[in-house]
Amino acid sequence: MSAARLAFENVTGGYGTTEVVRGVSGAVAPGEVLCVLGRNGVGKSTLMKLLFGYLRCWQGRITFEGEAIERIEPTARRALGIAYCPQERPVFDDLSVRDNLTLMRHDRSLDGFAASFARFPILERRLTQHAGTLSGGEKKILSIVRGLAEDQNLTLLDEPSEGVQWENVLHMQALIEERRAADAAFVIVEQNLAFAERIADRYLVMDQGRVVLEGPRAEIERRDILANLHV
Amino acid sequence: MRAASLGIVALLLLPLALGEFWAYQLGLYFLYACAAMGVGLCWGQAGFLPLGQAMFFGLAAYLSGFALIAFGDEPWIFPLLPLIAAVSGILAYAIGALVFRSRGESGPYFSMITLALSLLAFQIANNWNDVTGGFNGLKGIPGLPGLDDFSDVYYVSVAVLIAALALGTWLIRAPIGVLWRALAQNERRVALFGFDTNQLKAVAFGVSGLLGGIGGVIYAPQQNYVTPQLCGFGLSADLVIWAAVGGRNRLLGPVIGTLVVGTLTAELRDRMKFWEALMAAFFIIVVLAFPRGIIGALAPLTRLIEGRPRPKPPIPAPERPAPGGAARLSIEAVHARAGEVTILDRLSLLFDHPGVFCIIGPNGAGKTSTFNLLTGELAAAAGCVTLDGIAIDKLAPHRIARLGIGRKLQIPSVFADLSIADNLSIALWSGRASRLDLLRPRLRRWTSPMLAELAQRYPFLAATERRAAELSHGERQILELAMALLTEPRILLLDEPCAGLSPEETAAVIDVIRWAGRRLGGAIIVIEHDMSLVKELAETVYVLHNGTLLAQGSVSEIQVNPAVQAVYVGGEK
Amino acid sequence: MDPLVVTQAVNIVYAVTTLAILVLGLAVVFGLLGVLNIAHGEFIMVGAYCAYVVEANGWPFLMAVPFALLICGVLGAVVERGLIRPLYQRPFDTLVATWGLSLLLRKTAEAIFGLGYKSLDMPMSGTLDFLGVDYPTYRLTLILLSVVVLAALVLWYRNSRTGTRIKAMVGNPELAQAYGISVTKLAARTFVVGTCLAGLGGVMVAPLVPVQPFMGLDYILKAFFVLVVGGLGSMLGLISGALVIGGLDSLVSALIDGTYGYLTVLVVAILFLWLKPRGIFARG
Repeated sequence: MSAARLAFENVTGGYGTTEVVRGVSGAVAPGEVLCVLGRNGVGKSTLMKLLFGYLRCWQGRITFEGEAIERIEPTARRALGIAYCPQERPVFDDLSVRDNLTLMRHDRSLDGFAASFARFPILERRLTQHAGTLSGGEKKILSIVRGLAEDQNLTLLDEPSEGVQWENVLHMQALIEERRAADAAFVIVEQNLAFAERIADRYLVMDQGRVVLEGPRAEIERRDILANLHV
Repeated sequence: MRAASLGIVALLLLPLALGEFWAYQLGLYFLYACAAMGVGLCWGQAGFLPLGQAMFFGLAAYLSGFALIAFGDEPWIFPLLPLIAAVSGILAYAIGALVFRSRGESGPYFSMITLALSLLAFQIANNWNDVTGGFNGLKGIPGLPGLDDFSDVYYVSVAVLIAALALGTWLIRAPIGVLWRALAQNERRVALFGFDTNQLKAVAFGVSGLLGGIGGVIYAPQQNYVTPQLCGFGLSADLVIWAAVGGRNRLLGPVIGTLVVGTLTAELRDRMKFWEALMAAFFIIVVLAFPRGIIGALAPLTRLIEGRPRPKPPIPAPERPAPGGAARLSIEAVHARAGEVTILDRLSLLFDHPGVFCIIGPNGAGKTSTFNLLTGELAAAAGCVTLDGIAIDKLAPHRIARLGIGRKLQIPSVFADLSIADNLSIALWSGRASRLDLLRPRLRRWTSPMLAELAQRYPFLAATERRAAELSHGERQILELAMALLTEPRILLLDEPCAGLSPEETAAVIDVIRWAGRRLGGAIIVIEHDMSLVKELAETVYVLHNGTLLAQGSVSEIQVNPAVQAVYVGGEK
Repeated sequence: MDPLVVTQAVNIVYAVTTLAILVLGLAVVFGLLGVLNIAHGEFIMVGAYCAYVVEANGWPFLMAVPFALLICGVLGAVVERGLIRPLYQRPFDTLVATWGLSLLLRKTAEAIFGLGYKSLDMPMSGTLDFLGVDYPTYRLTLILLSVVVLAALVLWYRNSRTGTRIKAMVGNPELAQAYGISVTKLAARTFVVGTCLAGLGGVMVAPLVPVQPFMGLDYILKAFFVLVVGGLGSMLGLISGALVIGGLDSLVSALIDGTYGYLTVLVVAILFLWLKPRGIFARG
């Protein structure tokens, strides 16, 4: 699996004594988008937290560009080249939109955001306002723009389209595709199958903490996925 | 009991070993030990830290001093003294009742307020020259009538210490002690079983005040001199140190701590300038690294002396009083918020017949929030919740639990440091034990037919002395489920009862839920994500989305409902 | 204006501003990091003793400032690493540990300097004519200094990069990690800033109060009550809390007695605990 940018093998973990993710394996190559699908409570967000280091793996390995990272804490994983956009509380509510975007920059400049502002004018309009005043979907947009602007080799997005209007979801798709063309890799958790179908190169479908379907998009039947998403 | 008898004999023989004078000096520390026991009770049992314990000791000492100066020769001074100790206890209870009122984290507030009160008490004692003698203190207090030499005085101290130990031991063994230890671990859970935790804490503080008072009352006639320092900060701090170093979790710990550290400090304080600083550093180390203290280190020895406890025969619990017929639980157009975010949005649900029902929905739909609403932990900004016509949305959680709503939390919340038996007992006492009952140790032997049936299904429940912390995740889920069932609720709320369970464990839990539905004859409402389980369990499914009811019906009905499909699968908008 | 009224008014302003400065360190540590450092008063005490040491050695008073900042900074860093950091998710244990620390600091000061109180000379003697009243120069300077420090801190927090990062970390620590902010390091530095501010406060009040080992007790209690009443996490909360507590204490003590002032403060704090447990201006 040397071509993989991120590979995880038999990853197991959870909260307290509750095991949520059970022996999940997968990989994503440079320039590839892996979509993680599944109903609520199957462990998708937990898997992301394990990949980024918020939770410790009880078992299993995670390798990033050949290096084992399962013992490294989140800030170090980011330094290695992984960006993360959480599903819950995706922005700093108490900071302005501008601060949310430029917090880690020395000069706090808005260089490089012009293209994103063109696609999402709402961000530019609300630059000086507290991010907490944005709607749920707008917060997601802000979060994704920030995450993509980090220009990392691997970006983890947890439900980026949640609460976002369809036309903006399409803009997100465009931004992701731009980065993918530059060899960036993505792992994206999604509940919205229509969006997943547009951007995924590979699927990883989970149920009850395990992988039930996995593979390139072409090889997986839509109806099989639906069977795992439906009630 | 064996260790206790040995200890008492040793105490009684002490003057022979040390000589009367030294025994008398030691006797003073027995009095301090009573007050330190109070700290140990609050801290080691109920989980909050009183930083001003000396004020109860000093108050009782002053009052006792006044009484002895005024009526020292009257015989009825003897019954008056316990009453004075009781004053300290009542004051402590009142302060506890005043401070422990909110539902939130009151620990630090309590500690700071007790600290402030002790400083205030010191200031009053120090400045009120006319009454207390100011900073010179109250002098010339006569001793107790008829007790003149060192031996007599010593034996009074012993008697007082034994009385305090007896009181403490009784309470710790009684149900109230179990509840204190439970609320120190998980206060919310204790409230959900129908116990008023604020009251429980206030009672603990009251008892600790009483213990302080018991010591203080005898201090005055023994030392014949009461100073403001007895109320103040320094002694309060010492009491906490002694309780910690001796071992706050066992009643004898503070006694040993007082005797060992207290006497050492008295000797070395003037000789070694840094002795007290050293003690403070030692305290920090003990608290962080050796929380069990000296007595924890001696634990194997006490076990050796005590031997194995003999199991006593179980006692059947009384029937839980419950109105007949199915409960009618209605949520009507409830709106609930957390800050700016709407959690529940004109939610209306009705449960008016027995059976098993499931609530499903995507993340953030409001499922657990609905349960929080039902158990009184989430306030309704608009709309109301009624149970059999009575509005319950403004009631405190423990009151709602008593009305017959039981709950199993999403994360298994058993009391890890308590034994399995104690965990189950707490559930049995819920709704059945009156306040006075909580003082009777025999309640710990309660059992019920339902418990017997559950123990048959799950034999591990019968291993009563095992600590719940030793159970596996699956066993903890079962234990918590069993506890919820034992309260025999009319409405049982189960939040993801199968989370983290293996397929075999899951099947067993499904079985129990079905059995419970028949056995209890009430409504069981289950939050679940796993659709296969929902299919097996539910007659009716309620789909929540964005805080409101999206659809309801049988499983097959909601599966073909296009609105439900859209929510779960998403799509173009 | 009636000189008595002016004096009383300036007294109250003085009481409120000095209280605000003394609470500032705890507002940072408790209000932002959520750590109730009961030893906060003892850091003030350490600062005051630093001023005493400086004076006892014949050095200029101003040297006390860097001296206290150094001592309280180092002490704060050691305490954060050894005591606070391991106990971050355990507020009760933090309470017990910092209480032990306060005892340790107190007893160490007792062992080094003795139980009695030290009286420091005023670094600025004399009085100034202020609105028709002669008011001690040093106190007026303190009022000015306190206002300057408070204002500077607010401006810094709002505009600097570090201030914004602290704000981010406090509001959403998980996301802060995703941004690459080392939450552990930033929290540690914030704690040290808190203890340094306490030391600075100690230097400022040292010439005006009896410097003794247990002077810190009064300060931690008042500081705690200021935050309970005013609300955690904002400068507005700090000022309003200081206004209520400092103002009441000052007023009642002047009208009746110090003990009654204390009692009033206690009663008000308990009332707030019941009715408005998050304070007047709670964050979030």
